[in-house]
Amino acid sequence: MKPQIDVFKAGNQMAAQAAADINYHVMGYFPISPSTEVAQYLDMMGVNGQHDIQLIAADGEHGAAGICYGAATAGARVFNATSANGLMYMLEQLPVQSGTRYPMVLNLVNRAVSGPLNIHCDHSDLYFALNAGWVILTGANPQQVYDLNIMALKIAEHQDVRLPAIVSYDGYITSHQKHNVKVFENAQDVREFVGEMKREGYDFVIPETAPVTVGAHMKGDDFMNNRYQLEVAQTHALRVFEEVAAEYEALSGRKYELVETYQMEDAEIGLVILNSSADIAKSAIDKMRAEGKKVGLVRPNIVRPFPAEALTQALKDVKVIVMGERADSAGAKGGNLSHDLKAALHDANMTTPVITRIYGLGGKEFYASDAEAVVTLGYDFLADETVEKFGYYGVNPGDSEKGQLIQRSLEPRPVSDYVTGKITTTFNEEKNKVDVKVPPLRMLTSKPKRLVNGHGACPGCGIFSGLELFFKGIEGEIVIVNQTGCAYVVTAGYPYSSYQQHYVHNLFQSGPATLSGIAEALFEMRHRGEITFADSATFVMVSGDGGMDIGMGSAIGTALRGHKLIMLEYDNQGYMNTGAQMSYSTPLGNRTSTTNVGKVRVGKQYAHKDTAQIMAACNMPYVFTGSEAYPLDLVKKAAKAQWYANNVGPVYGKILIACPLNWKSADHDGTNVVKAATDCGFFPLYEVEQGLTTITVDPEAKKRVPVEDWVGYMGKSRHLLKPENEAILAKTKAEIERRYNQLKAKHDSEYL
Amino acid sequence: MEFIPNKHGFVEIRLESIGGQGAYSVGQMLAQIGVEGSHLHAICFADYGSEKKGAPVKTFVRFAKDDVTILNYSPVNEPQIVAVFHELLFKTQPVTDGLHTDGILIVNTDQTPEQLRAMYNLNVKTIVTVDATKIALQYKTKLNTAMLGAIFSSLNFLDPTLAADAIEKMFGYKYPHLVEPNVSTFKDGMEQAQTHVFTDVEAGIAHTRKPTPFGYETQNQGGEIAGPNSYTKNLTASREGMMPEYLNEKCIHCSNCDNVCPDFCFVWEEGVDARGRAQMFLQGIDYNYCKGCLKCVEVCPTQALVSMVEERDYADAHRVQKPFDFLGGVK
Repeated sequence: MKPQIDVFKAGNQMAAQAAADINYHVMGYFPISPSTEVAQYLDMMGVNGQHDIQLIAADGEHGAAGICYGAATAGARVFNATSANGLMYMLEQLPVQSGTRYPMVLNLVNRAVSGPLNIHCDHSDLYFALNAGWVILTGANPQQVYDLNIMALKIAEHQDVRLPAIVSYDGYITSHQKHNVKVFENAQDVREFVGEMKREGYDFVIPETAPVTVGAHMKGDDFMNNRYQLEVAQTHALRVFEEVAAEYEALSGRKYELVETYQMEDAEIGLVILNSSADIAKSAIDKMRAEGKKVGLVRPNIVRPFPAEALTQALKDVKVIVMGERADSAGAKGGNLSHDLKAALHDANMTTPVITRIYGLGGKEFYASDAEAVVTLGYDFLADETVEKFGYYGVNPGDSEKGQLIQRSLEPRPVSDYVTGKITTTFNEEKNKVDVKVPPLRMLTSKPKRLVNGHGACPGCGIFSGLELFFKGIEGEIVIVNQTGCAYVVTAGYPYSSYQQHYVHNLFQSGPATLSGIAEALFEMRHRGEITFADSATFVMVSGDGGMDIGMGSAIGTALRGHKLIMLEYDNQGYMNTGAQMSYSTPLGNRTSTTNVGKVRVGKQYAHKDTAQIMAACNMPYVFTGSEAYPLDLVKKAAKAQWYANNVGPVYGKILIACPLNWKSADHDGTNVVKAATDCGFFPLYEVEQGLTTITVDPEAKKRVPVEDWVGYMGKSRHLLKPENEAILAKTKAEIERRYNQLKAKHDSEYL
Repeated sequence: MEFIPNKHGFVEIRLESIGGQGAYSVGQMLAQIGVEGSHLHAICFADYGSEKKGAPVKTFVRFAKDDVTILNYSPVNEPQIVAVFHELLFKTQPVTDGLHTDGILIVNTDQTPEQLRAMYNLNVKTIVTVDATKIALQYKTKLNTAMLGAIFSSLNFLDPTLAADAIEKMFGYKYPHLVEPNVSTFKDGMEQAQTHVFTDVEAGIAHTRKPTPFGYETQNQGGEIAGPNSYTKNLTASREGMMPEYLNEKCIHCSNCDNVCPDFCFVWEEGVDARGRAQMFLQGIDYNYCKGCLKCVEVCPTQALVSMVEERDYADAHRVQKPFDFLGGVK
């Protein structure tokens, strides 16, 4: 055995620790709760030189999987972590990786697949992965996360397997709970265990080696055989798991079998259950044993390949099998693993009844008492065979009286409430521009907000002051679509909603597309005379800068298609909803949870994305930037945006908003800091109307403030004022200047 | 309190706080000190919601002797110790739910244990109070380390001399300048905690899990919500000591405050100006929704909005209620 030390850590830390111990070459990743911390911990270690893994923040999980695949074809050791819809977005890439036979390790931190959106644990993501051709290991606690991560790579790279592998563990329960765990004192022992990356005998894309072609398409005759190779490799993986587990036991003293059994010796009822719930259920088993009930538990350590023989062996003497499943295959009367198990029993000529209960979806708590209730169903069935073999455990009919909250309680506002008549927009043919007249903003306080009070955003959050200020400029009804992000999460958390207007949430990548569909459907139904609504109805897609990273394609597509709608981005320079990871809009050198400040790296390594210019290049009728620091400017732009969206086509606007929590700025400084961003030239306020650029708030007309003023407001950037970071600050200033001068040139010339 | 495990073999602690107060850090430090200093087994975690800073959050710590492997990963529903980081939470959260009647309740408040007991009708043997907010203001720290001190004042199975080391570990890496003031905050919290043991405690009520009223027969299909309802929430617990004061006589009704308020707290009414024209006038602040960010104070040109330390009952007395048009006129 190799020396180990005791630590107190959570599952995500253990996955990161295992990755650092192994010293993978590349991690391509995209943040999604609850898996994001894996990349964060690795970045934290990486900026201080504790490993050499190249952490690449992708544009989305699809991109992350692509980075991983590319790196694997280049002969690198590759690592990733994701959850739920992250897995769904990369799902297309998974069979590519397995079908072309490039090993890697992906941590799947189990979370419910949306919708409704839910960030908590269930196994619906895992079940989608079952058919991807990957080896899938499943762990119950942080110790197992560490151990299985080390074993997974060795299994994946084994000459008889050569498949990518998933390590699945429960979101929040295992990923975030800190436990007593053991890790190897010397990473070298882990590196020796997994061995050097073997490249001889395999095909990799490495310059100056004999060229190979990866990914040729196949016809059926050949494809069948490719798939059969994969099936054979999966079958080998069971044996290889046992071999690697034996070696790992010698290294660690911890033994992993294909399936863990607990109190199964003489059990008459056997509970089969995955991951953390198995540990929780053990105390129920103990309690029932103390009461003289012969019950036991079986937990697979691997579900792909499916350990059919090990399971049927473990269950061969029980009278009833109770299967707890944390995901369902709706309509199939059992989740996927129930059916896998039943098939295995059938093949083993066993007729043991299987009672399946779907439990714990979306993180619904599963206590030991729940495990006891589920196991007791086995006895119920023995007493009375009419007990339903399939059902949901933990649902309730509800209480219509107490459930009134979700029914309408306020009078729907007439459209006229949102029309003050004090804003005028007229198209000026001569200038090819819209002339806007806006009254003193005091007069617009008569217009109701589009959201009612009571959202759960942080104190000082700039999102809602920014959005509502923009909405002040819009006369008439709006229909809002949000992509996932803080603005959504804090305004529409069941059973609460803050929206006085129609509102739809859809996931990242799909907000602009969803709103395109809404708008076009409504126009068509109105055209056919089926419905009526005023021309002033305005369609607004609200996204954070994160949504404009992962959803850039959808936004550009929507811009190019010319729908009559507004895409409004609130830019807080990071993925704040998931815990302040960098976005492409994060400025150079800024600290985020995935761009830490350390001895070998200081903050984000490249400059911020200029989304407004990207969108302007789509030649939309109107593009603007705005902020609450210049309220009249923003309200005017809103009025123009409405005119263009009502009459011509798509509008894009970016509002810079403060995130005091993650900018580490004072709550009360929200307006001041975005003002400084404009006044120093970092975030110039301008518009591109029918292709012509106009700077609307000229920082040079007043006294332009130094970049240091802006940087100094925020804890995430204040380190740039230190002498050792002088070069980064200089580079920041130069980039601000270059972009500002370019903008000025556009302002000055009708041809740019 | 000695290490007296419950029937499951655990000592269980629940920390009731609002996001941003650092209760989770306290949980981690407690667990770490138990693991490293007292050779206990522990698990520590928080309930992760989707709400942000200022929203209620629970942190759980579960200890066991080192011959027990903790396999219970479920939330703590029947704690022996509850620490409440923010007194306003008593108004919006069932903070003492399931607390053993012979357990310990530790509260950040400027009241004494006797006063607190009377105010909230508390039924627990030991009440510990500490003015953590005041201590934190003095050292310019977060109040969490003061609460850690108060918790230590009532537990003797954890070694308080290890707290400084735990604080160093927590802050030293990213914020080394915060270590020393936090150690002082911790010490003051421990020294200033007032403990009172009550002998006339009634038998407790066992914790029961309450089913959601939004069941499969009462939820709208697909989870749709019919119109806005978040106005029914009370957000006052999001404030951490400061709030804006509105001085009507200085107000020029410019609406700068309204433009920057993230929580739509300013209440306006149409009136007639000096020249007899219809105009909007600011009536005041609906403190029910005010989270105390003070952005409005920053943009007010006439100091009609100034920051004040929140006084007990001030918000209720000065709240200008936002009008809502209730369906059929029924609230």
